[in-house]
Amino acid sequence: MRDRRMAWFGIARGAAAITLALGVATIFIFLSSETPWTALRYLLIGPLVTFRDTGISFNAQYLYQILAAMIPITFTGLAVTVMFSANQFNLAGEGCVLTGGFIGGILGVYLNINSGWHAVVAVLIATLACGLVMLIPALLKVKLGASEMVTSLMLNFILLNLVNHYLNFQFADRSKGATMTKPFQPTAIIPSLVPGNSKLTVGFIAAMAATALVAFFLYRTRWGYAIRMIGINESFALYSGMNVGGTIILSQVIGGMLSGMGGSLEVLGRYQTYLWRDLPGYGWVGITIAILAKNNPAFVPLAAFFIAYLNKGCLLMSTYCDVPVEMIDIIQAAIFLFFAAEQFLSGYRQKLVVKTTQEDLMKLDASLLNGGENHA
Amino acid sequence: MLEQLLNSILKADFLFAVLRITAPILFATLGAVVAEKAGVVNIGLEGTMMITALFGFLIAYWTQSWILGVLGAVLVGALLGLMMGFFALKLKTDIILAGIAVNMLGAGGTIFLLNMFTGLRGNTGNLVSPNILIPTISIPLINKIPILGEILSGHAILTYLAFLFVWLMWVLLYKTPVGLNIRAVGENADAASSVGVSVLKVKYIAIALSGAMAGFGGAFMSMYYSQGWNSGMVAGRGFIALAAQAMGRGEPVGSMLSSLLFGMAQALRTKVSGLQGVSSYLVAMIPYLVTVIGLVLYSIGQTRKMRKHSIRPVL
Amino acid sequence: MEPSELVVQMKGITKIYPNGIAANRSVDFSVRAGEIHALIGENGAGKSTLMKILFGLELPTEGEILVNGEPATFASPLDAISKGIGMVHQHFMLVPSLTVAENIVLGMAPRKSGLFIDYKEAVRLTMENAEKYNLHVEPDARVADITTGMKQKVEILKALVRGARVLILDEPTAVLTTQETVGLFKELKALREQGFTIIFISHKLNEIKELTDRITIMRGGKSVGVFDTDSISEQEISRHMVGRDVILTVEKDEATPGEVVLQVDDLHYVNEWGKRALDGVTFSVRSGEIVGIAGVEGNGQRELVDILFGLRLPEKGDARVGGKSLIGQPQARIRNLGVSYVPEDRMTFGIAETGSIEENVISDRFHHRRFNRGPLFRMKELHKESDQLILDYAVLCKARSQEVGMLSGGNIQKVVVAREFSSDPILIIADQPTRGIDVGATELIRKRLVDLSRAGAAVLLVSADLNEVMELSDSLIVFYEGKIAGCFDDGLWDDVMMGEYMLGIKRQSDEEIGRASYA
Repeated sequence: MRDRRMAWFGIARGAAAITLALGVATIFIFLSSETPWTALRYLLIGPLVTFRDTGISFNAQYLYQILAAMIPITFTGLAVTVMFSANQFNLAGEGCVLTGGFIGGILGVYLNINSGWHAVVAVLIATLACGLVMLIPALLKVKLGASEMVTSLMLNFILLNLVNHYLNFQFADRSKGATMTKPFQPTAIIPSLVPGNSKLTVGFIAAMAATALVAFFLYRTRWGYAIRMIGINESFALYSGMNVGGTIILSQVIGGMLSGMGGSLEVLGRYQTYLWRDLPGYGWVGITIAILAKNNPAFVPLAAFFIAYLNKGCLLMSTYCDVPVEMIDIIQAAIFLFFAAEQFLSGYRQKLVVKTTQEDLMKLDASLLNGGENHA
Repeated sequence: MLEQLLNSILKADFLFAVLRITAPILFATLGAVVAEKAGVVNIGLEGTMMITALFGFLIAYWTQSWILGVLGAVLVGALLGLMMGFFALKLKTDIILAGIAVNMLGAGGTIFLLNMFTGLRGNTGNLVSPNILIPTISIPLINKIPILGEILSGHAILTYLAFLFVWLMWVLLYKTPVGLNIRAVGENADAASSVGVSVLKVKYIAIALSGAMAGFGGAFMSMYYSQGWNSGMVAGRGFIALAAQAMGRGEPVGSMLSSLLFGMAQALRTKVSGLQGVSSYLVAMIPYLVTVIGLVLYSIGQTRKMRKHSIRPVL
Repeated sequence: MEPSELVVQMKGITKIYPNGIAANRSVDFSVRAGEIHALIGENGAGKSTLMKILFGLELPTEGEILVNGEPATFASPLDAISKGIGMVHQHFMLVPSLTVAENIVLGMAPRKSGLFIDYKEAVRLTMENAEKYNLHVEPDARVADITTGMKQKVEILKALVRGARVLILDEPTAVLTTQETVGLFKELKALREQGFTIIFISHKLNEIKELTDRITIMRGGKSVGVFDTDSISEQEISRHMVGRDVILTVEKDEATPGEVVLQVDDLHYVNEWGKRALDGVTFSVRSGEIVGIAGVEGNGQRELVDILFGLRLPEKGDARVGGKSLIGQPQARIRNLGVSYVPEDRMTFGIAETGSIEENVISDRFHHRRFNRGPLFRMKELHKESDQLILDYAVLCKARSQEVGMLSGGNIQKVVVAREFSSDPILIIADQPTRGIDVGATELIRKRLVDLSRAGAAVLLVSADLNEVMELSDSLIVFYEGKIAGCFDDGLWDDVMMGEYMLGIKRQSDEEIGRASYA
């Protein structure tokens, strides 16, 4: 009884949080736009349809674009999910996406493998490299107790500058006006799944496979189990005889690997050359997604779809109306704040708890009374 | 090359630059200090600086008064702090997540707001005019002293204010009842509440102060340092502040010294990147690397201290 | 003021906690102005709850409080303070980095020029009160740097400066050295001379005899009686304290002890407050027997158990299972040696609150080969294991997937015990295994403990519940002030006798105590 009530309450609360966030967005749309109703229409239903004079029709290319946009953020969402599950506030996913993208890109240019394996090898090496990178904050945390949060934040900027250094001084294509690498070899480019220019690549399948793998890993393996128990109660895990330090390191390394894989798939799937000059922001979006998915990997694609959908909506609003695309950050921040708020609607939750507890207590009293008489 | 470098560092204008570059970091670090003293981690300093930099600039532009701009930025900073406090203390959002949300607003929300208010994208472009920039002052007498005068005189008012605030923060924390309450709440909230100190109120005060400090830093960035607002201007200074706070053991003076270290690293970067054959990117890493190294050294010290007592490892 | 005037009266106080535990049942308690009044009782007798109610930390379910004859309701400590009641907690409510004077004026700091703390005034106020009440402290020292004894004086001063006329001291001597205790008593007596009223919670009979005027004895949430200290002997106090209420008997066969499983040799430990918590403890536990450790809490039991499970490091001494040392070992290794542990603090160490029952019962064995195939869990095996354990230990729940934190206290403890008892342990350390849980669960856990020992496991039972240790143990060790005060293996013990050893009235000879070890 209690469990089901609480589950429904959780869903209702999530819906309320999202509604509230969209409400905030609506306010800003009305403040900033000359044509707020049109803008709102683009935001809410625009991402999947084409508006014509004759009516509305489904737009498959748009859907593909949304699915394509899910690729990197599904990976970072999974990465954050794994790390948050172990209660590790490691925020270097951002830097790992960039590094993974860069390493993948360089291998895409310079590695010579004359088959589809080229892309696979490039992505895997990028993945492993980012796992190694994450060893830094993880080891500092476990061995010295240095806050992984601060070191990982610094790591983002260190990685950014390191990548930019190598890009500019080693790998820049001097024949181009802007700073970018030479074009990727055709073998390194992640193939598209659908016709058109949507960039919906095999990377999407990889993202879904990664989701399944992470879900299995967290809920069906001994390591995932240890990660989750440490996240709930580190003292309990220690007392149970788990290898707490090793597991904390593992969770962060996996986080780094997933972020790196997402970055390399994105770079090799979306572009012809490596051209990121700044942190791409997918790492932060990953945090939003993990929060939306309540740290459950199975919900990560759903949350990623939701964010990609809103992103597309914001893009359309800025293209066809006068609402800047950065609307998405305001929506995200609002979702974030309300969704993560434990006490949001807590008054109602408290009533629910009290009611259920009272029912339970009455039963307990009855059984205690009986038990007491037996032994008196 | 080394000679070149030494020549440029050993000049007064280098030390002048160090002070100028340190000022915004110092403001944010003081913000981190006061929050941390009350037991609150303000990871939203970065976003707060971005947002206050924008509002400070816009308010100054609208009113054509740099003073109102700075005050506006400080007010917005304090309000953002209170908002974080509301979500974290009242609605029990994890304080780190609340901070990340503020950072999101700082990254994208600012661009949106700038566009909404002015129609501009990404930077304030030609809105800037001399009367909305924070003025510099030359200190009489001191400016006459050779070298020292060149280093200390001619800074923006807010640069002096930043260093003055180190002292004021120290006074606040150690010489006033509010500061006493802040320190007590951060260290042993039960002890504070057992004698009737409102833990919630004290935390709100601390985080609002923290936001206000970041507001000064933001105003400094857009109204003096960069002479206008642009979307990449804060560049991790809010995060560095967190590290500077940790390295400075959470004390105003110690944190000022670590801020100066970061300021110096940053200034060095500007100097070195002008030299032939040096990667500006590698130099740009220095402040962040210094931060990590500092934190590591600090943690080693802490771990040693802990190991001395064989206390049950409550995690 | 008439000396017999009642300054505090608590009438018919009942307190039922949300988890259903009735900590106080119609307790009457009153204190005369200007007396030192002892409140004494076993752990869990309800003393702390009663005092928390008096200090506004808990609201009573029923009953009324009168202060100086007038009804008073205390919603928070501030209300109690304003009525002149102050409390010195067992764990000091002090801020370590602040100076003594700052701690004393916290929340009421004197100001100068409106804005600043008048620190000189704070020091003066501290000095003045220190003089007045003869409680000497160093106003400028940081609390982190002063001795425990001085910290206590600071706490007392804090209450007095806030106008307390009635002082509640919760086991004040538990953290003090002998000399500090002597000093404290002098100070308390001086306060009594000045007309202050003191409520003194303690377990130590000699202290109570020396210091107090009257005694209220509590047992099982009720007041057993109020006595003039001079008119009651230590033996009588002891008998009132430990008298039996409900007796749960457990059928058990004669023990047939085998080899020594756990050997503890000369353990010494100084705890975080600088107190000598263990002072040369030596004993053995053999297979097939239950060795009980009795004693008032805070006499070294906690530290002993922590050391045995690798959570603290002793200054000196060793503890071995099957010849292999446990000292400073990782918990995984200790468990591999066949040790299992029912922790006292089950919510911190025993369970992962938001995890499912299944996740909680497998935490010590999830990596075993039989639950894994390659990298994957064999979910069927895990389900089978957890369903079996839920059944075996009668865990009342809807499904193995139910959140453990949602269960009642007794069922949570059954989950812990199901895990710890089912790993074929050769040594079980059970620390307060039935504290605060219902009768049914208590009975089940005790029975299982006996069964396991009869099947050959060595059991070390640590419990502050005297009935429990006396009922279950094959041999008994009594701890007093970090030492073994007595050991008994003849089964001929009763609560009166135990009480005398537990409270330090009696102590066996070293030779007799030596019998605890078979090494």
